[in-house]
Amino acid sequence: MSSRQLTYKNHTIVIENGHLFIDQKEIEYELDHERQKWSSWYLPYTQYDSLGELAKAIIVDTDEFNA
Amino acid sequence: MALRKDANTLTSSERRELVNAILQLKADGIYDRFVLRHANANMMSIHRCPAFLPWHRRYLWDLEQELQRVSGNPNLGIPYWNWPSGAENASMWNDDLLGGNGNTQGIVTSGPFRQGQWQVVNSSGVASGPLRRQFGQGTSRNLPTVAELEQLLQTTPFDSSPWNMRSEPSFRNRLEGWLSNSGPAYHNLGHVWVGGSMLPMTSPNDPVFFMHHCMVDKLWHEWQLRLPNQSYQPLSGAPFGQNQNDPMSNTPAASIGRRPADVLDSTAIGIEYDQLLPGTPNPTPTPEPLRGTPLTIDTGPITAQISRPGEHDLYRIVVPRFAEYVIETSGNSDTFMTLFGPNSTLNEITRNDDGGVNLNSKITLNLSAGTYYADIRLYSSAAIGEYAISVTSAAEETSTPQLTVDAPATSAAISVRNESDIYRFNVTRRAYHTIETTGPTDTYLSLFGPNDETLLIQEDDDSGSVYNSRIRRILSVGEYYARVRHYSSAATGSYAISVSRR
Repeated sequence: MSSRQLTYKNHTIVIENGHLFIDQKEIEYELDHERQKWSSWYLPYTQYDSLGELAKAIIVDTDEFNA
Repeated sequence: MALRKDANTLTSSERRELVNAILQLKADGIYDRFVLRHANANMMSIHRCPAFLPWHRRYLWDLEQELQRVSGNPNLGIPYWNWPSGAENASMWNDDLLGGNGNTQGIVTSGPFRQGQWQVVNSSGVASGPLRRQFGQGTSRNLPTVAELEQLLQTTPFDSSPWNMRSEPSFRNRLEGWLSNSGPAYHNLGHVWVGGSMLPMTSPNDPVFFMHHCMVDKLWHEWQLRLPNQSYQPLSGAPFGQNQNDPMSNTPAASIGRRPADVLDSTAIGIEYDQLLPGTPNPTPTPEPLRGTPLTIDTGPITAQISRPGEHDLYRIVVPRFAEYVIETSGNSDTFMTLFGPNSTLNEITRNDDGGVNLNSKITLNLSAGTYYADIRLYSSAAIGEYAISVTSAAEETSTPQLTVDAPATSAAISVRNESDIYRFNVTRRAYHTIETTGPTDTYLSLFGPNDETLLIQEDDDSGSVYNSRIRRILSVGEYYARVRHYSSAATGSYAISVSRR
């Protein structure tokens, strides 16, 4: 069981067994295996190099987390 | 006819008219409904897939209808963001149109959509702060040049398997921006270049979204004009909602249909651009109206014959309004029918061999207004024979079945593929209402209203029991419409539907 937790701009990011949570809300994401890039419904026009980077971008760039 | 102009060339009065219309739609709550229609769509149904281009074409068309309505100008078109001349200093970013870049916090503080005048909404529809822009902060790339647009327009085919962000070669995928190793990310780049509110699924919060997608749509239009032998793909085989004749996700009923097939011809749906790139031929307003023998709807069959082996007969059908039509042959010949359109003899919609009586062909389909072409041949290329052909519209609309709130469920069935059942019901006091289906069928439910059969409120697939659909929300007083279809366009099945106040 792998688990990683960090706080970013007062939001809690948890990556646990391949699941991503921001403030306890599970965030669905897609992994582009070929390019090793991560993306999410929240940010449909961009891909990120890691789940952590994706989570930070969601916190900064969506109205759900940056209102 | 909507005339779409380069946003930088709009006159002062044109800018004022457009801005006032947008502000009116915002004040009426209609603009935010457009934001939510995009934000709450399944991402993989409208992005990273073939329907990306037709979905957004129809979405722009719908907003344009609203802008024309509130402005009183039937020719008002959404202007396009002409990327090669649309960087930070372009006049479209002046305060009489879009306003400019955000401040150091990214907040837009000038123009009609500035802080204090314009609130963005989150994906739940809740106001969540000012509009934000951060020009060029998320990318090192400049906006596409004319040369890069020319390069894009040479890409074929329209799309390819696996019909997603890994499709290559694919005009759609290159334009969308997922094949950026050898050029700009075009559509994606525009979103990232503006930054801020243009990054999430709620990106229509920034009115430049519509100008950006108008440019995307213009490029698809130019690609279609330059490459008339290329067509939308796929016809079949992709996930539901992506094939040419599938209804698209989060797209309401209107005077044009919900399928990619219904929006393939920009000219036919009343769109005109002020200028095209050098090398793009002008659209022919009525491409091939005189080809084929006229076949009039509801006037009885006409007889004909295939008198030489391998001969094809072509019929022209002018469809006046969106409805279900039946095109069929009769007689003793084994006919084969292929339907093309709208307004094109190149764009195949569907084909049929023996769907009619005996060995006759028959096509039953919802068609939008436009000109369609039915090609008839005999199944055997060596045969000759007589046949008759007719086209009929579905029987005049019977009154829409009425559901009563808190009454027992009404039993029904999707008895043929692609069928939709429509019900109406009245809400007499504002309260939570639940509309749901029960039974063994995987239903898909769409709710429209109040008092407008075309105004989509919410859609649902599987929130009910097993694969049934269920919508629960507060409804104000008025008349509402519930549309039920099978999740699969190819399947049928029974169900029951009810409305309750709880």
